[in-house]
Amino acid sequence: MSDPGIILPAPEPAAARLRPERTSLWGRALDQFRRDHAAITGLAIVAVFFLMAVGVWFGWWGTQWSQALGGRWEGPSGGHWLGTNLLGQDIFQRAVYSTRTAFEIGLIVAILSTLLGGLLGALSGFYSSRWIDSVLLWLMGTLDSIPFYLFVAAVAVAMAGNPWAMHIAMVATFWTTTARLVRGEVIKLKNLEFVEAAHAIGLGQFRIIFRHLLPNTFHILLVQGTIVFVSAIKAEVILSFLGLGVQDGVSWGLMIAESTQEVLAGQYMNFIVASSFMFVLVMAFNLFSDGLQDALDPRRAPR
Amino acid sequence: MELLSYVIRKLIGGIPLILGVTLISFVLMVYFGPDKTFELLSKNPTEAEIAQVRAQLGYDRPFLVRYAEYLKEMATLDFGFSDSTGERVSSILSRTIPVSLALLAPGFVLGNLLGIVLGLVAAWYRGGWVDKLIMGGAVVGMSISFLVVIVAFQALFGVVLGWFPVRGWNVHDLPSYAYYVTVPTLASVFVALGYNTRFFRAVLVEEINRDHVRTARAFGARPAEILFRNVLMNAMIPIVTRILFSIPLIVVSGSLLIESYFGIPGIGKVTFDAITSGDQPILKAVVGLTAVLFVLILIVTDILYRVVDPRVSLTGDAR
Amino acid sequence: MTRINQPHPVLRVDNLCVEFATTAGQIRAVDQLSFSVEAGQTLGIVGESGCGKSVTSLAIMGLLPKPAGRIVDGSVLLDGQELTRLPEGRLRQLRGAELSMIFQEPMTALNPVYSIARQMTAVLKRHQQLSARQARHRAIEMLARVGIPRPDQRIDDYPHQLSGGMRQRVMIAMALSCQPKLLIADEPTTALDVTTQAQVLRQMVDLQQELGTAVILITHDLGVIAETCDQAVVMYCGSKVEQAPVADLFLQPRHPYTAGLMQSIPRIREHKLDRLPVIEGQVPNLAALPPGCRFAGRCPNREDRCVQQQPPLTERGAQQFACFNPWNGPVES
Repeated sequence: MSDPGIILPAPEPAAARLRPERTSLWGRALDQFRRDHAAITGLAIVAVFFLMAVGVWFGWWGTQWSQALGGRWEGPSGGHWLGTNLLGQDIFQRAVYSTRTAFEIGLIVAILSTLLGGLLGALSGFYSSRWIDSVLLWLMGTLDSIPFYLFVAAVAVAMAGNPWAMHIAMVATFWTTTARLVRGEVIKLKNLEFVEAAHAIGLGQFRIIFRHLLPNTFHILLVQGTIVFVSAIKAEVILSFLGLGVQDGVSWGLMIAESTQEVLAGQYMNFIVASSFMFVLVMAFNLFSDGLQDALDPRRAPR
Repeated sequence: MELLSYVIRKLIGGIPLILGVTLISFVLMVYFGPDKTFELLSKNPTEAEIAQVRAQLGYDRPFLVRYAEYLKEMATLDFGFSDSTGERVSSILSRTIPVSLALLAPGFVLGNLLGIVLGLVAAWYRGGWVDKLIMGGAVVGMSISFLVVIVAFQALFGVVLGWFPVRGWNVHDLPSYAYYVTVPTLASVFVALGYNTRFFRAVLVEEINRDHVRTARAFGARPAEILFRNVLMNAMIPIVTRILFSIPLIVVSGSLLIESYFGIPGIGKVTFDAITSGDQPILKAVVGLTAVLFVLILIVTDILYRVVDPRVSLTGDAR
Repeated sequence: MTRINQPHPVLRVDNLCVEFATTAGQIRAVDQLSFSVEAGQTLGIVGESGCGKSVTSLAIMGLLPKPAGRIVDGSVLLDGQELTRLPEGRLRQLRGAELSMIFQEPMTALNPVYSIARQMTAVLKRHQQLSARQARHRAIEMLARVGIPRPDQRIDDYPHQLSGGMRQRVMIAMALSCQPKLLIADEPTTALDVTTQAQVLRQMVDLQQELGTAVILITHDLGVIAETCDQAVVMYCGSKVEQAPVADLFLQPRHPYTAGLMQSIPRIREHKLDRLPVIEGQVPNLAALPPGCRFAGRCPNREDRCVQQQPPLTERGAQQFACFNPWNGPVES
């Protein structure tokens, strides 16, 4: 203590000084994440699913998802582990193949909408209360005001059966939340000293945005990415049921959609398998995402 | 008087939003929407016939002119007749909107009320096993697809137990209403509860750590009193915002799945069919109404802010 | 205790030990603390932030954050009634009625969505079974007594319409409205500007003396102690290092920490100083306390045994201190 006269600093809550100090946001986050058993378990399950999807990619398994290999509604057996559906297709193979579909949709939508949201959010925040910000805010408000499924339907119809219509519609709706969060963070950051210093030494605006501001919102982008991933997988199911989703291939959504008739006939296998695969992945991803949020957002720390 | 000028200012402020929603819907649903030329033509039409029909449909005119036309029809509430059924659009709306509202209202109210109650309980016992149980349940609820819940509930209550109908909407009195509304309500409450509880718990925990809660405890207030007066009443702004802004989305979007699945003739189903078949008059009406509803909700929200928080004023900067 | 004809104390804290569960393990925030307060008297508790003074007040009120904080030993007697073993429901009936507390932050301590009237009458109705009308009448009277002008109008204001000093007056009025036996004031004036501080303190002391309330005043400001308190307890790292009547304490502090505190007060001096004296060194981590005196690491009078064993509390006249090698010199630097 070398500062004269400040022997008795202003009182602060006692708890603040009881907490041991840790270094950076990421170091602290890693510490916290490691101790979160639910999040670790979630991450492990996601990894298993990811390997399953990679295997489908390389043609190791799940290759015979579309052939009618058996009779209709066969029970589980050595040949068909989880039985067959109405058309005699192997339910297990279809569920495994759908894992790849789910990861494709989840990753594409999550990555694109996070990139778009991060970029436009950073621009909006950096030029806050200028015209570009007003335009972007107007665009976000407008997109948020259009009911999601109607928007997807409209995009699908407008793109006349293009298999990417669903992805595009999801990206177009999901980026706004990320953009709002990044905008808020950038507004906060740009008044901090290091950004002002960057201005002062004459760095260009784009350099400041891309080298100094966006990297500091990475924790938001990461968390938002996981949230969008889950939303995309869940939205796919409903869109596929409505006939707006996956156009070729098979997905859990298509399986559930085709199983709705089977359920009324008392055949539950297809429905249960597709729902369970999807539930386990989404649940695991939710736990992982929650762990990330708890670790990265100091305000969410348990109090 | 202050209120009136405020509402007028807000309505004017809502114009960009209305323009935005209508513009996007125009581009997607009309400009790039289904081409109806050949539906109106006989087989093997001549070039001249095609051109004539296109002119009649307005396809040959420039983008802005068509958009202006679209806006004009919307502003004058001149929606005309449905392309596919020939029924008056206004009569379609007045037939289907009440059905959707009756279908969704119980689930909406219950889902939010239960969410708040569970959020309060979890926030009060934050960190304890009650909290962990409720929040664990919420994550499970969030991880189950709406479609799965609908299929499972229909199978359980309609097929296995046979207590409630599998499909349809034949409502004429209270018992028949309860008969048809129960399964959809249970499904929508189940699906909304996870998300709602998490949201409400988060905003309530934020309030429960405030100094005035500690003051109330230091003056001997009972837990129920603290939860209601200090926690809930101070968290009303985010709660009101969330609940009100979810209304338009749920009325149009949320009802779509239930209505398609249970075969209920509501506004969601009608709109969805209109998009896929390119029924412009219905789309115009629904899109226009949604945009106006959003602006109205913006205004109602601001007025409610004033009611729930004395620090908010309508004239100055509210937040 | 040296005083023979000692009246029955309103509050008697004996060997109080409070622990907190943290990620770094169990932490003892208050260690073997004892003191008592008599009716109409003011006891000051002084120390740096984190020394356990606020935790002490929360422990007396039974408001320790659960489940992390907990009283592990000792007793708190309010008018002969043991508070630490009282069920929560009974304790709730005492809070605001028999023992009251006001907090550091007047800006945030009141509920922003209800008027002053609503908040004050809620307390009166809860504890004194008054009708709405009587409660309002009583609340206005209390507001007048803490020096709020036009109290019959101000009572319908919302907290955000009042200044910080006004809000703290409202808190004082509310805290004393049921005529509690004990009032705990935790840094009541720290957040206020200097002129308001003096007025608010004066008002609180006047009202306290009229009502005969015992007061515990928690502060880091020795000036406030000098002005308002009869006795003072000096805390360091969760335990009491010195207690004395305020006059004795300022005349001859015995514990080197107290002496250090006195010397670091800025004051008008005859000769100019280059810098104010400070206590060198750092407060030890509560999770890893040294075996000996907690102040040893920073103490100018340190001996070998100070590092090895804790000095017991020694009494000299009305003064108590925990030091092997007490301060004898002058405090003027």
